[in-house]
Order: sequence, then structure tokens, then C-alpha cells
Amino acid sequence: MSEALLEVADLRVAFATAGREVRAVDGVSFSVRPGVTLAIIGESGSGKTVSCRAIMGLLPEGTIISGSARLRGRELLGLSDSELRRHRGSEMAMVFQDPARSLNPTMRVGVQIAEAIRTHRKVSKREAQAQSIELLRLVRIPAAERRFHEYPHQLSGGMRQRVMIAIALACRPRLLIADEATTALDVTTQAQIMELMLELQQELDMALIMISHDLGLAASYADEVIVMYAGKVVEQAPAGRLFGAGGAVRMRYTRALLDAIPHLERPAHTLLPVVSGRPPDPSALPPGCSFAPRCQYAADDCRTKAPVLAEHAPGHSWACWHPCENGGTA
Amino acid sequence: MALVQQIQLQGGSGARGSARRIAGSPALRLVGRRLLAAIPVLIGVTFLTFVVMSALPNNTAQAILGLNASPSAVAALNHTLGLDQPFWQRYWHWLVNVLHGNLGTTVNGSSVNSELATHLPVTLELLAYSLVVSLLLAIIVAVLAARRPNGVVDRLSLTVSMIGLSAAPYAFAFLLIVVFAVKLNWFPVISGSLGSTPLSFLKATTLPACAIGFPLFAVYTRLLRADLVEQMQREDYIVTAKAKGVPPWQVLIRHALRNSMFTLITVVGLNLGTLIGAVAIIETIFTVPGIGQDLLNGIQNHDVPLIEGIVLVFALMTVLGNLLADLMYAVLDPRIRYGSSNS
Amino acid sequence: MAVPIPDATLATPTPPPLPSLVSSRRLRTQRLGRALRLWVPAGFLILVLAMCFLWPMVYTLPSPTNGNIVNASLPPFSPGHWLGTDQVGVDIFSQIVYGGRVAFEVSVATTVIGMVIGCALGVLAGYFGGWVDAVISRVLDILIAFPALVLALVIAEGLGPSEFHVILALAVFSIPAFGRVSRGATLVVRGLPYMTAARLSGTRGWRIIVRHVLPNIMPGIVTFSLLGIGVVIILEGALDFLGYGIPPPGASWGAMIANGQQVLTAQPEYVLIPSIFLLITVVALNMLGDALRERWGVQ
Repeated sequence: MSEALLEVADLRVAFATAGREVRAVDGVSFSVRPGVTLAIIGESGSGKTVSCRAIMGLLPEGTIISGSARLRGRELLGLSDSELRRHRGSEMAMVFQDPARSLNPTMRVGVQIAEAIRTHRKVSKREAQAQSIELLRLVRIPAAERRFHEYPHQLSGGMRQRVMIAIALACRPRLLIADEATTALDVTTQAQIMELMLELQQELDMALIMISHDLGLAASYADEVIVMYAGKVVEQAPAGRLFGAGGAVRMRYTRALLDAIPHLERPAHTLLPVVSGRPPDPSALPPGCSFAPRCQYAADDCRTKAPVLAEHAPGHSWACWHPCENGGTA
Repeated sequence: MALVQQIQLQGGSGARGSARRIAGSPALRLVGRRLLAAIPVLIGVTFLTFVVMSALPNNTAQAILGLNASPSAVAALNHTLGLDQPFWQRYWHWLVNVLHGNLGTTVNGSSVNSELATHLPVTLELLAYSLVVSLLLAIIVAVLAARRPNGVVDRLSLTVSMIGLSAAPYAFAFLLIVVFAVKLNWFPVISGSLGSTPLSFLKATTLPACAIGFPLFAVYTRLLRADLVEQMQREDYIVTAKAKGVPPWQVLIRHALRNSMFTLITVVGLNLGTLIGAVAIIETIFTVPGIGQDLLNGIQNHDVPLIEGIVLVFALMTVLGNLLADLMYAVLDPRIRYGSSNS
Repeated sequence: MAVPIPDATLATPTPPPLPSLVSSRRLRTQRLGRALRLWVPAGFLILVLAMCFLWPMVYTLPSPTNGNIVNASLPPFSPGHWLGTDQVGVDIFSQIVYGGRVAFEVSVATTVIGMVIGCALGVLAGYFGGWVDAVISRVLDILIAFPALVLALVIAEGLGPSEFHVILALAVFSIPAFGRVSRGATLVVRGLPYMTAARLSGTRGWRIIVRHVLPNIMPGIVTFSLLGIGVVIILEGALDFLGYGIPPPGASWGAMIANGQQVLTAQPEYVLIPSIFLLITVVALNMLGDALRERWGVQ
């Protein structure tokens, strides 16, 4: 068991917008080890992206962050931006959702990769160019020398995402965060990119955090899974325990998410059990369990007391007063 | 052989791959189309001017001969000057002359061409001075302001630019005169001629350039600052740059400013035509011998050829300004220059 | 089989205040700033309008056009002349008040004309596209390329200066400005998905324009017109300054500046006072426009 690369404890993030306080993340804790893939699953607005951006220090100024995030034992929160910049891009890197918008449209692709290198290493332009071309090859882009000089709009979506990965890997980071990295791609490309990331993870012995709303993705590729809702972690377990045969989902929300996935075996013309309603407004969170307004099994104690995330089974934590029994709906 | 000639025809001194690419690209065709579209605008503007001037009571001949001239003398002069012809005929004559390069003669007998030749460069130099200085200052201030939105520099720049937007150029001109020319005596109050040395030129034109440039500076600063801040806050590629660990100044300048330049150049081009009013007044106040003064004199004398000539020049400037803005996009924006994706 | 539960609303009783991470002071300052930026300029404009239009009805002011040379060059706060008199004895405060009237009358009239005609043209061009758009855009291009000042001067020179002629001339400049803005805004609205839905459901063109396009572009048009009023006030002042606007001895801010030119070094206040009023009026209009834009979320 290697040492944890990243340890996050009781992370909280809040903003003030238009005179209201918005709590995006409300006490999140997790840890990742090198070589492990952690999936953070949740709806939009659950706080999954904000948590990771808080760790990277990419949130706008004026955001209130509290808690702890340690990268290799070094506390990241509370560092000044110039200190954090030394780690950003070099030890921890991020790949974003929409490669069309995440690359500067007026800058050549190769230059954007070279920028990542030259920010952290003192190398000449020529040397950086050579390294960038190597990186383009690493992410399996053909004709790398030619692609170096091209602009983002000249590449397809999948290739742009590969370029983003190349940028992220420029300085051989220990931690790679993929924020919905495949959401904007078509299914075939999705699989290719995921495979690529996992291969590179093995080659470089990185820890990989994948943020997604796609449970299927998590089931296929992740080692550990965290489910977030309304800024809190509501269930946490190794992937094997949650999905597949004998899956033991406990928290009602996770169960509802799984139930909402259409299966081929379902009888035709039956209603899909979607989760009705919407996630709560983060500036006006209800007391008690945040999922209670949408949960069929909510009882009075659910609405008054917020459930606490606790390890009720080895390696498996959840936050629910009336969890499911052994994976079934009960 | 044929290829070399083709490149020479298209590229001129830049006869390389870029020339070939631009010539074949949608960019040049765009320019061509815009130029064609500009012609009706020019004709429309000059024609309208003619119509308006003809529709108004017209006593040019009277003005020349004086109030005591006999009606028959006035009528005779009208006939000599061709002022009794219907306006479309006069316009046609004028247009034909213009296409031959002759802009006609003023009521004073001098040729419009020579008037413009002496006075237009002065105005152009003044305008160039104002534009360059206001642009440079705007870029510097906007970048400093965008670095820390709502910080000290930002608020200060917003206040100053608010004043610049709201100040009437003529009122501001007097403020400048009182402070800099009268009290501090750094600059002459009136210019007269521009002198022959660069220093005398600067002395004569700095105050008028400030008067013209202050509102321009205000507009550019606001625009650029808003664009920069918008990019820094909204655009994903900025987040990518930050995620790479790029220092904030570099993110601002290498990524955001580069993209903002498009919008800025467009606005500069589009605004070019609106400057005529300010230029005319400022030149009058500071007695700069440019075409602004000519214009005002011409209007007083109902000097149609002179007015038409100046209107043509300014309409041309507007049109060219718009064209420049479009052209900048076509040439600089790689998305247009290199066409659509080719995976 | 799960029964779809009714859409549980968030109307739960107000939760107990969570331990706050964000200082409430910062939130309050934000809200205060936004309110100030709106109401300070609005209040100022109301004051100026009241001063120019209502005050003379309540309190008789000395004539803004005729003065007694005996009273020439009185300093501010002289009895009967709050801001003193100019070099020919005309009361300065009256000139400011009546000049302000002219400034607002001209600018509002011009802007309203521009808004009505310009928006009509722009919306039609933007909504119907095709040759309608081509023709209207061409006309607008020509009007915009037209030097506004030249036209105004020419008209004034030919027909004689008057308030009406000024409005006419400036309207020619105001119409294409509104035309362009409203056309652009209409194009944006036209591309929205719900517009396609409205068209598909068979709503007739006119109804779509009135019920969907206009309400959506109105915020942008209103803020633009506030800025436009400011611009026209300055232009009108320029015309007066050159002598082609309100015929003398009519009071106007521009004319005051022109008259003050002669004694600029000795008594700069004759130029300064109207300049300051001009400045803060336009600043107030611009600030109000900005604040409304912020509040209404216009681009």
C-alpha cells in the first residue's frame, strides 16, 4: 500500500454572488494513491468540479475555502498563488471538458504545449518544441511535427482532447484530474481517450481522478468511487462493491441514479424511474438530508438531522438514515 | 514562369506561401466584396450631401459679390458657376470630375485638390497622433486594470474613462488650454502653423491631440478592459493556462490581450468616421490649419465643391475604417486565415 | 416499480442559519454599491430636470437672454444672481437653467425619434432578413457614413438656426445608430430556440415581433438610449458652440462656452460652469445606463 498522494479533509467552498452566499462544497474528504483511479460522480451542481478546482487553486478570487488538501504531505490550501503555481501543471494537472473552448483559438497547438513546459523548466524554445512533439506522439497523434504548427480549429474533437492531455502531462505530473474529460466527445472517441488516459496512468504511475456524471464510465474504469450530492459526499466505496453483480449500493441517491440507467433487459414501455425534482439551491440548503425532498423513503429524521458520512462496512461509507438493504430497493 | 507571375500579381513583396494562401482564401474575396459594397455608400453619401445643399436656399453668388450686388450680376455669376443647373446635372458633372481626379474649384477660385493637399496631411497627422497615443495608453491602462478587477487601478481607470466618455471635446479643450497653456505655459495657446521641426509639431499638436484623444482613450480603455476581464473570468482557455501554472501577467498578456486585439482594432476602424465632428471643432479652437477649418469656412460660404470634397474624404475614411476592421479579422484570425478543420 | 413522486418543492420552512463562511459585511457592501450606482445618478438627473423645468415655474429667474450691462461680471453669490453674471450682464444661473431645458428637449426629442424610426427599421431588417435587410442596411450604412455635424451645420446655415432644425439634423444621426443596435439585438433574439418554436406554432410575424422580439430587445434599447441622450447633448452643445444651434441670444450651454472663450484667461468660470454642468449631466446619464445594464443583464 503506497502512501496517499492526495489527502483531502473537510473541504468547504463558498462564494458570494449578487449578495447571496452559495455553498458549493460542504465538508468533503477523500484520498488518492498513486496508480489508483478515483471517480467522483454527481449531478451538475453537486460540487465535484468545484472541489477539484479548489485543490488546484483555480477558483476565482474572493472564494472562501476551508479545510485541508495535502499533496504528498504538503498543504495546498492557504498557499499563495505564486507558491501554488509551482505545483500546478507540474505535479498536479487537469484536463477539462470542452477541448474546443479550452484551447486558445489564436495560438498554435504546439506553442500551447510548449508553454506548459517552459513555465516550469528552463529550456530553450527549440528544446521545448522537441519535447512538445514527443508529447504529441505520446498521446498518439499522428504526424506530430505537422500538428505542432496547427491551430485548434484544424483538429478534430478527439485530437484536441489528446492535445489537452499532452499539455497536462507536459511535466510528468503525479496527479491527473480529468474533469468530465470525455463528456463532449462521441462514444467511440470517449473510449479511446479513456483508454489512453489509463495507459498513460500506468506508464507514469500517476493517480487519476475522473470527474463525471456518467456512472457507466465509473463502473468501467474506476477503482474507487465517490458519489457527491449538494456539496457533500454521500457514498464512498471501491467500484467493485458498488457496481456489477452483488453490488451493494446503500445510499438512496446512488440507488436512484443506478435505477435511472436504462437497461436492455427492462420490459418495454415501462416508465423509467427517474429522480424527479432538482438538486437544491446551494444558497438555500434544506435542513437535514439534502436529498430528502426528492427521496421516496425519506422519513422525519431525514428532514431534520443531516446524516453523517460513516464507514458502516469495511471500505464502504455512506450517509443515509435509511439505506437500501443489500443493493435491492427496499 | 506562370506561377512566379501569379505570385507576383497576388503577393507583391510578400510573395511567399502566405501570399498564395491569402489570395486564394476567403479573405481577399471578402475584401473585394466589401470594396464593391463601399462604392454605393460613397455615392450615396456624396449624393445626399448634394441634395441637401441644393434643397437649401442658396446664395453663394450673393455671398461672393456682397450684399449690394445687383440681381443681374448675381444671376450672371450663378450662371458662370453653373449654379443654376438642376442638381442632378451638377452632381453628375462633379462625379465625372472626381473620377478623373479633379475635385473642382472652391468659391474662392482655388482648386479643391490643392486645398486638400495642403490641409489634409495636417489633419491626418493630428488624427494619427491622437489615435496612436490613445491606443497605447488604453492598452496599458486596460491591462493594469484587468489584472485586478475592482482594484485601485481598475476603479480609477473606470472613473477617468467615464469622464472621458462624458466630457464634451470642446469643453475639455478649454480645460487643457487653461491648465497647460495659460497657467503652466507648456504649450502655445494657438498653433497657427505646425512648424518644421518634430518638436514644434509636437508642441503645436499635443493639446489638440489630447482633446481628440481623451474620449477615444476612454472608449478603448473601457472596451478593452471589459473584454479582458470577460475573458479572464469566462473563457475556458484561460483556466487551462492557469492550470498549466502560467503566471497571471503572462496569462493576461499572452492569452487574453492577444484575443482582445481583434475587438479593439475593429472598434478603432469603425470609429474613424465619427471623428470628423470632433476634429472640426478642435481644429477651430486651436486654429490648427487642417481640413476641419476648411469645412467650417466652406459651410459658411456655401462652397459646395469644397464641402463635397471634404465629405468625400471623410466618407472614404469611414469606409476604409470599416474595411480595415474586417480585413484585420480576415488576416489575423487564424480561424479565417486557415479555413475550417482538416483532420 | 417506483411511483413518480410529486415534484417536491423547495418550500421547506426556512432552515436555521448555517455557520457562515462568507462575511456578511462583504455581501452587504456589494448590494449597497449596486444600489448606489443606480440611484445616485438617477437622483441627480431628477434634480437637474426639476431645476431646469420646474424651478422657473416656482421662482422667477432673471432673464437668460437680456442683461443689463450695468450688472456685468458680477461674481457668484451676488444678491439676485446666484452664480453671478457674464460679461454683458446676463444672469449665469438662468442661462444654465434655460440652456438645460434646451439641451434636454433637443436630446430627448432626437433620441425618441431615433428610437421609434430606427428601431422600426432595425427590427424589420433583423427579423425579415433577405432583401429587406439588404436595403435597410444599405440605407443605414449611408446615413452612418454621413458626417452628422456637417449635415447639421449645412441645414442651420441654409434654413437658419433653430431648435427644430437642430433636432431634425441630429435625428438623421440618431436613427441609424438605433437601427444598427436594434437590428443586432433582433438577430440575437431571432436565433433563440423558442423563437423557432413560436414561428412553428403558427404565430404570425407581427405578433412575434410585438410579443417576443420587442420585450427582449427593450432593455438593451433603453440603456442605449440613455447613452444616446448624453451623446446628443454634447452634439447639441457643439452646434451651439459653433453658432449653428440655438440662435443667439437664446441661452444654451454651448453658447455660454463660446462666449466665455473670449475671457478664458481672466475669468475661466464662464467656460467652466457650463462645462461642469454638461459634464456631470452626461456622466449621470452614462452611469445610469451602466447601472441599468448591470441590473437587467444586457450585453
